[in-house]
Amino acid sequence: MTSRTLTLLVTAFFAIIVGIVFQQIHTSMHEQGIASGGPYDNAAAYPRAVAIVIAGLVIVQILMEILSGHQEKIGLEPQALKRAVGLLFVFALYLGCLQWLGYHLTTTPMVFAVMYICGARQIGKMLLAAIVMSFGFAFVFERFLNVVLPGGIFRLNIPW
Amino acid sequence: MLFESLLAGFQLFLTPMAIGLTFIGILIGLLVGAMPGLGPLMGIILLLPVAIGLPPVAAMGFLIAIFVGGSCGGSISAILLRIPGTPLAAATLFDGYPMAQKGRAADAIGIAISSSAIGGLIGGVVLIAASPILAKFASGFAPPEYAMLAVTGLFAIALISGGSLIKGLISGCFGLLLATIGTDEFSTGYRFTFGSHHMLNGFHIVAVVVGLFAISEMAHQIIGNDLLKKPDIKVERPGFGSLLKTLRHWGNLLRSSGIGVFFGALPGAGGVISSFSAYAIAKAAAKPGEKYGEGAEGGVVATESANNATVGGTLVPSLALGIPGDASSAMLLGALLILGFVPGPILFEQEPQFVGGIFLVYMASNIFLLIAGILATPFFVYVLRIPKFYLIPIILILCSIGTFALQASVFDLMVMFGFGLVGILFRATNYPLAPIVIGIILGPILENNLRRALLISREGYWIFLDRPVSATLVCVNVLLISGALVYAFRTRRKVFARREEA
Repeated sequence: MTSRTLTLLVTAFFAIIVGIVFQQIHTSMHEQGIASGGPYDNAAAYPRAVAIVIAGLVIVQILMEILSGHQEKIGLEPQALKRAVGLLFVFALYLGCLQWLGYHLTTTPMVFAVMYICGARQIGKMLLAAIVMSFGFAFVFERFLNVVLPGGIFRLNIPW
Repeated sequence: MLFESLLAGFQLFLTPMAIGLTFIGILIGLLVGAMPGLGPLMGIILLLPVAIGLPPVAAMGFLIAIFVGGSCGGSISAILLRIPGTPLAAATLFDGYPMAQKGRAADAIGIAISSSAIGGLIGGVVLIAASPILAKFASGFAPPEYAMLAVTGLFAIALISGGSLIKGLISGCFGLLLATIGTDEFSTGYRFTFGSHHMLNGFHIVAVVVGLFAISEMAHQIIGNDLLKKPDIKVERPGFGSLLKTLRHWGNLLRSSGIGVFFGALPGAGGVISSFSAYAIAKAAAKPGEKYGEGAEGGVVATESANNATVGGTLVPSLALGIPGDASSAMLLGALLILGFVPGPILFEQEPQFVGGIFLVYMASNIFLLIAGILATPFFVYVLRIPKFYLIPIILILCSIGTFALQASVFDLMVMFGFGLVGILFRATNYPLAPIVIGIILGPILENNLRRALLISREGYWIFLDRPVSATLVCVNVLLISGALVYAFRTRRKVFARREEA
């Protein structure tokens, strides 16, 4: 991957953001009657102005990068990239299952998986650490801060 | 007025919870500061969900103490590992590590902690003396002044937050745009909610910030190859005698703390600039016998007193004007807003006892820093030995539970993850993250005051030039931007010239 690919990605991101602003102004805000009028009624003027500024600045940034002609190769080891993608995948899966399976059934496996991705291989130690971490935090938050963690479909909540 | 405020603040501060949480905040701050990759901002972000359920002064004491402790904690790893726990401690390396190499690690840590505490106290005196005056001056401000002040804050932070000016401004504008999501205060219409009731109040700032900073930082940490490494460090025990050694450098201490307060009060400047500037000035003013860069006590005194004095300085515009000096103080302002307080002159007028309480927790934090820092250093050294593969899941759990606890909402967790991905993209492309937070905090101030100013104006945008303070701020903004553009243009020309030569 090169720095130019990343620039393209970030440009696409801002293009989508600016696109959403204008799409919303012309649909939802227009229908609500808040896309025109004076400073009191016109709720679209300010986000429109900010979006235009963003678009202008992004164009300037792209032009500067093109004019400089500078292109860097992002030197990321395949293993490191795998670890980062693995971490994000496991964390996304964890967040997706949290409501469904509950905190206690999902957190210990998530912690264990993250440690595994990091390269740890002492299964016993990792399992113990994962259990201590997940239940330790649950105890602190539920007992002292009165947070009710997601119980999931099995309604697993520990009455500490 | 000031004494009344402080006296009233005593009643709020002198509770076991407020004192206890301020002390715990210092320990947590030192811990997150000492661990490379975390730092005070991350500490505040991770523990903000815990704080917002607490009584206001206790909550602010907890968060301010994390800020104070975190600004000092980085020196421990800088001295022992030659890795600054935070960028704030980068200049402490120059003399702290050579001191440790000469067998004076305990002295170096003791001096760093003592200097931080004294620098912080000096910053506190300035905070207590200057912020009510500034707030009183700002009480005459009307919407045009506030709108321009918000623009100045955003420009200043975009300018100095690292990376290019354009990227800083884009990040700041992105933050401004995020702040518009939800119900419009004037027309009560819905903006960018996509028909979802979750979005009626916009994204929760904590979910956004946890994602942007913490999740992206964990993805960044896991790329490193030192995940299983257990640093081999000798346990050091500094003593209270370090305080006397520090006080011997009283001139350096006062000067560096002054530099720290000055840079802290300038939006965007922050601790890194102040600690490097203080170091450079201390080195220039050193006696011939003092060998800076080879383990001079003065070097540690200069950097550490400056970066902790910055905390006091940065709280001056944050509390008095509601304009954050850096990302950490932006988070403190976010906490104030969530707790139901509006920072700025109104806070000083309507809640003097609360302001007094904040002053007291700040001063107490620095006193606790001295005690806890000196006594608990062996514990932090032990924590530094914990490999990262334990640390990453701990932070991920904290992020998840903390964000969920805000509103018992899984939607917030999704927002956090989404902004984690945005944070990764921004980091990869060198877009600074701090201006986004500042943009989110300043967004409502800017938009609401801009619209109010236009409502009261008979000449449209000319109102910003009709009023002296507002017109001055317009000039400052024009100068800031044109100065930055000229600087960027010259730097670019030099880079091109060098490339052509090569």
